[in-house]
Amino acid sequence: MWGTEWPRFEVIKQDTKHGPPQMVGSVHAADPEHALLVARHVFVRRPAAYALFVAPAEAFFHVSQEGLKDLKPTRREGGSEEPYWVFAKRSHRRSMVYGDLVGRFLAQGPEDAIAQALLQAQGVAFWAVPERLVVGTEPTEEVVESWFAPAKEKTYRLQSYYGLITAKGVEND
Amino acid sequence: MVKLKLGYPEDPDYQERLEEFEARIARGEKIEPGDWMPAEYRRQLIRMISQHAHSEWVGMLPEGAWITRAPSIRRKLILLAKVQDEAGHGQYLYHAAETLGITREEMVEALLSGKAKYSNIFNYPTLTWADVGIIGWLVDGMAIKNQTMLAQCSYGPYSRAMVRICAEETFHHKQGKEAVLLYARGSKKQRQMVQDALNRWWWPTLMMAGPHDTDSPHTPLLLRWGIKTKTNDQVRQEFLNEHVPELLDAGLTIPDPDLRYDEKTGNWIHGPIPWDDFWKVINGEGPMNRHRLMARRRAHEEGRWVREALEAYGKRRLAQAAD
Repeated sequence: MWGTEWPRFEVIKQDTKHGPPQMVGSVHAADPEHALLVARHVFVRRPAAYALFVAPAEAFFHVSQEGLKDLKPTRREGGSEEPYWVFAKRSHRRSMVYGDLVGRFLAQGPEDAIAQALLQAQGVAFWAVPERLVVGTEPTEEVVESWFAPAKEKTYRLQSYYGLITAKGVEND
Repeated sequence: MVKLKLGYPEDPDYQERLEEFEARIARGEKIEPGDWMPAEYRRQLIRMISQHAHSEWVGMLPEGAWITRAPSIRRKLILLAKVQDEAGHGQYLYHAAETLGITREEMVEALLSGKAKYSNIFNYPTLTWADVGIIGWLVDGMAIKNQTMLAQCSYGPYSRAMVRICAEETFHHKQGKEAVLLYARGSKKQRQMVQDALNRWWWPTLMMAGPHDTDSPHTPLLLRWGIKTKTNDQVRQEFLNEHVPELLDAGLTIPDPDLRYDEKTGNWIHGPIPWDDFWKVINGEGPMNRHRLMARRRAHEEGRWVREALEAYGKRRLAQAAD
């Protein structure tokens, strides 16, 4: 079923209720539920998070900047469709995230989904993954609270927590 | 896994593609997995990123040794969070290296077998609590100088890992600075303790930036491909210019009799670095080399049953879902 190491899952993090889910990195895990738990330790040690999603890394179809010009989406008459999540890397600016969710697209394949996303969004790289393989935390108040609120209470949280430090003393501590 | 497009000098279109590649870097574009890249670019990145990941992992050990002995609950919480961060940083970096087609397992195996290198600084022992403060302020201070530079790296996944890490390292730096400054104006015993820690960590910290530019054969290529954006000596100079005045302000003595301020350039100039010691430690003769590897191997072995249980559980769930 897998080699000698656990499968890799891409991790998608949504910082706020209305913010876009963003691709942040990946983790190795034995199953999606385990992947979500590991992802919380790796990517949500600091606030803020509203939701986390994972999907098997191998299920992602990727088009790089160089590959965009060779994208060949095919659509067949009456072909079966399913929803895909499509992510775009918007620019080359320095960032800690790569793809922002452009949206969900009913498509015959990942290339078709990306071609549809290209009508709405510009980007220098794209990713598409079938929605049926995406597993996420529930967006209920209870789940958000129990999964993500503890990070907010850490003693050692924000840089500003320490204020200005000089040889004369430490302010606001 | 994204398919890599690697170029080799013997490929007929290598020169042409290399020019396009270097023009992209010159324009400030990030290279992403799936884009064409010289095989040597990939090799250099795997070398650097995996060493960096190993350093984060081994770096948990010297400070982790003090979690149970922290002097207050507040300091304990801070240290716990910091060591947990280092584990997370290792994870970000292993992920970045994996995008280049090396597996996590190969990297872990290289570390545990002693084949891979990690930052030499972690082969020194943490003898007193003051070491934890000095590591936060100086060792993490030097690491931040290096990592801020690497956040500009031309390879997208490495740059992103660095941006994420820098944001967290800044807390580490501040908590260390706060602790050291507190002891520097504390009791006589506290002042002695923190001065002793500074004496032991000063030179190993300066060595963290790597050999002098004249002895660093990789540097010109790394700069040309935007893997690094500053040389070792530039990074070391930035560190000195920020930290020397603050250490002196705190009333501490820097253990370098030749250290001087150069009015003309505005730089703090250090005396000769004891490189013999550096090479001895990097070649395995440091005080803690064997201990660090033993600790990592033991953690790997002792965690085996947990990994096996998780794997069995995951497989069963997948089988149940398939029914």
